[in-house]
Order: sequence, then structure tokens, then C-alpha cells
Amino acid sequence: MGLLSILRKLRAAPEKDLRLLLLGLDNAGKTTILKILASEDITQITPTAGFNIKSVISDGFKLNVWDIGGQRKIRPYWKNYFENTDVLIYVVDSSDRKRLEETGLELYELLADDKLENVPLLVYANKQDLPEALTASDLAQALGLPTIKDRAWQIQACTASQGSGVREGMEWVCKSIKKK
Amino acid sequence: MYWLWTYISYYIRPLVKWFLRKTTGLCELQRICYGEVNGTPRIKGVESSLHLSRSPQIKLLIQHLNNISDNQRFLGSNEREILQGAVRTVLLVKQINPQIHTQFVKSFSKCIEQIWGYRQLVAEVESLRKINYDSDNLEHERKLYDLWENLMPFEPLESRVSRQWQDIGFQGDDPKTDFRGMGLLGLENLLYFATEFKGPASHVLSHSHHPDYGYAFAIVGINITSMAWQLLKDGDAKTYFYNMSKSLPSIRHFHQFYCYLFYEFDRFWIECKPENIMEFSNIRDRFEQNIRNSLLDAQNIFKINVSVDTV
Repeated sequence: MGLLSILRKLRAAPEKDLRLLLLGLDNAGKTTILKILASEDITQITPTAGFNIKSVISDGFKLNVWDIGGQRKIRPYWKNYFENTDVLIYVVDSSDRKRLEETGLELYELLADDKLENVPLLVYANKQDLPEALTASDLAQALGLPTIKDRAWQIQACTASQGSGVREGMEWVCKSIKKK
Repeated sequence: MYWLWTYISYYIRPLVKWFLRKTTGLCELQRICYGEVNGTPRIKGVESSLHLSRSPQIKLLIQHLNNISDNQRFLGSNEREILQGAVRTVLLVKQINPQIHTQFVKSFSKCIEQIWGYRQLVAEVESLRKINYDSDNLEHERKLYDLWENLMPFEPLESRVSRQWQDIGFQGDDPKTDFRGMGLLGLENLLYFATEFKGPASHVLSHSHHPDYGYAFAIVGINITSMAWQLLKDGDAKTYFYNMSKSLPSIRHFHQFYCYLFYEFDRFWIECKPENIMEFSNIRDRFEQNIRNSLLDAQNIFKINVSVDTV
């Protein structure tokens, strides 16, 4: 009995539930980032049909991370997942210059949505290891991030396939939530 | 509870084996080969008996066979020699007279072939998976074009990078980034389905264009590759292979397993009447559980049952 109640208490530790939404074009690296956050193997990833969800404990928060497929046909469903989002994480393949405009347009459509009003934005400038990759600051300029005035935002360079930069981004996420 | 069981069985098992050996005059491997039905029940019986064996020679033999199959050298003329060697070792250790027990020699070497053929197949599939799709490799590109031509025989591809790829369910205008962690294995699986099972494949492709229950054919196919590989790797697929393959398991058998899964998944998906593609992970998980359950039944035979399209 005693052990059971201790276990129950442990389980009921006051972790705040947070809802993070991972969006971006297909092949941006959303699922890889999700798996890195959950400390899972990233060598067997397949394109996301639908969505993946994982819960990660970090910094006293229970982060429920929703990774939604980025294929054009799936994008119309993105809005079904907006409600109660605490932080929006937008992933960009920094080396995919051809689709820079497309990814920018999708991002601004998200920012214009009422349900995502004031929601902090983290942009991952992913795939920094590739030779054609834009640096984080160039990407921020290209996407026009400095003109965003209605919410906290941050850009983070990362190479998810090597696991670098992802943690730093999440630190900002946790900080920006504590401030709220 | 579990440790108690292992503890007991560690001491009891040899006693039971000794008793049966004395009363039947046959060793455990013989009793399995004569008593169990051909296919999965017999092969799995031999497999666990060998792995539980405490004889140093048998342990050495297992190590030797593992080594050969992990390096994919269990092939061709090598194969017969290895099988004969393995049988000889067991005959010697268990003091079995091959002149009297010719049937044992036959069915036991069949079991060895399947058990280590399966292990070799895992290695072969894994090495194919690890080859990334490379758009500079002409052979890879050829396979991609072949996939298009087999799935869309009446519609020529206008250019290498084209919106048309989305008609067979790739994400964008260039499929090269869609294979991801499944590498060349994903492409070869799809290609085998499209060429060797033309009817079922076009049946499934047409379902993927269904106005209400449609999905992305190629992307779902690559996710099925991942499932097939997972089932192969963790050993649950043994039931399928041990029952299906009459000779050394090869990549062709894996492709057939994949085709079976894809065809059945499509049927299950349509039956579920999903609201949209966002239900994929949920339905996928339920489907995988069903497959794992049916793989528990050692007698199960898996075949594509081509039904009349009613949807």
C-alpha cells in the first residue's frame, strides 16, 4: 500500500502539459527532430503519412509534440491541430532554395491564423551540414522574420541528422513558456 | 515469477529430455523432426532446441552458422557443404545412425536451411535498406522509371522532375527524397509489387485514388516497407517465411511478404472507412497488431486473395 501511494505521488508530479506543433514542408526534417527529442533512432525514418506524436519530459514540462506530415495534400489538415498550441515549431530545409518561397508562404499563412495568435514561434534552420545551406541569419532575412512583431520568435540553426542544435532550440521553447 | 520459471526449467529440462531419450530411444531433435508437422512448427521446434543446447559442439556450430549467415555466405555450392557439415556435427554429438534415420537427415537439414537462411535474409534486407537512393546512380534512376512505367503504362512521364509523381503517391515533384530511411529497399519493394503482382498493384493504386478513402500510394508503400522490415528483424515474420519458402529464403520471399502486407493493408484501410489520411498512424498500428496476432498461429498460411473490386 505504502509503495503504491509513493508511486502514485511520483506519477502525479506537477509537470505542466504543453502542446508543441511541428510544421514545415515535406522533407524538412520534422520527424527527425521529433525522434531526436524522444532520444529515438533516426536511421529508419519514413515519410509521414498523417502525423506522429510523442511525449517528452524536459525541464519540468511534459511536452506533447505533434509532428504533422508536410506533403502538400496534407497541409489543409494542419489547421485541425492548431487549437491550444503553446509553441509553434517551424522546420525549414535550409538547403532547399527552390522551395524557399513556398515555405515562406506556408509560414505566413500559419502566422495569420486566429488560433495561433500570439503563439511563440521557433524556426529550425535545418540541414546546416549541406553545402548549399543558408545560414540561420540569412534564412531569417529571406523569410522576413524580423518583421514579426506580434509574438516572440527565434531562429535556431541545426543539423537534426547529427542531433546538433535541436536541444538549444528546445531550451528557448522552455524559456519562452516560463516567461508567459 | 519469470526467473523462477527459468530456474526450474534449467534443471528440469535435462531430466525430462534424459527420461524421454531413454524411453523413446530418440534425441529431442529427432522427436521434433518426426513428431512436428512440416513447416513452422517443426522449424521453430528445432530452432529453440538448438539454442537451448548446452553441448559445446552444438554451441560452436550455432556460432559458426550465425557468422556465415550474417556475412551472407550461405549460398550456392557453399550452402550444400555447410548443411552437410552441420548435419554431420549433430549426428556425431547425438550419436544418430544416418543409415537408419535417413528421414531425420533430410528434414533436419531442411530446418537448418530455413533457420539460417532467414538470418541471412535479415542481413541482406538490412544492407539493401542502408543503400540510400542516389539520383546520380543510373541503376537507381532506371528502377524509378520502371516503377512509373509499370504502374502507369498508359501515361508517359513528361519529365524526370514532374508533378505526375504525385499521381502514384510521392510527396512532391521528385521522389528521390521520399525513400529516406528505407533506402533502395523501399523502391525495390514497390517495384516488385508493380511488376510481379500487376493486377493487385493496380487494384491498390486505384483505391489510393478513391475520392473519400484515398491515400498516397508510394508513401504508404514506403511505410509498409518499414513495417515488413520491422517484422522480419524482430523475428515475428518467421511464421510466414518458415511456412512459405520451400528453398533457401531469398530477397524475393521478402518482396512477396511485402506485397502481401501492402495488399492486406489496403483492404483494411478501405474497411475502416477513414475520414482522411490523418488516421493513418492509428490504422497502421491496428493493422500491424492484427498481423502480429495472425503470425502467432504457426499453421497460418499467407497468400494474397485477389477479390473482385467492390468499392
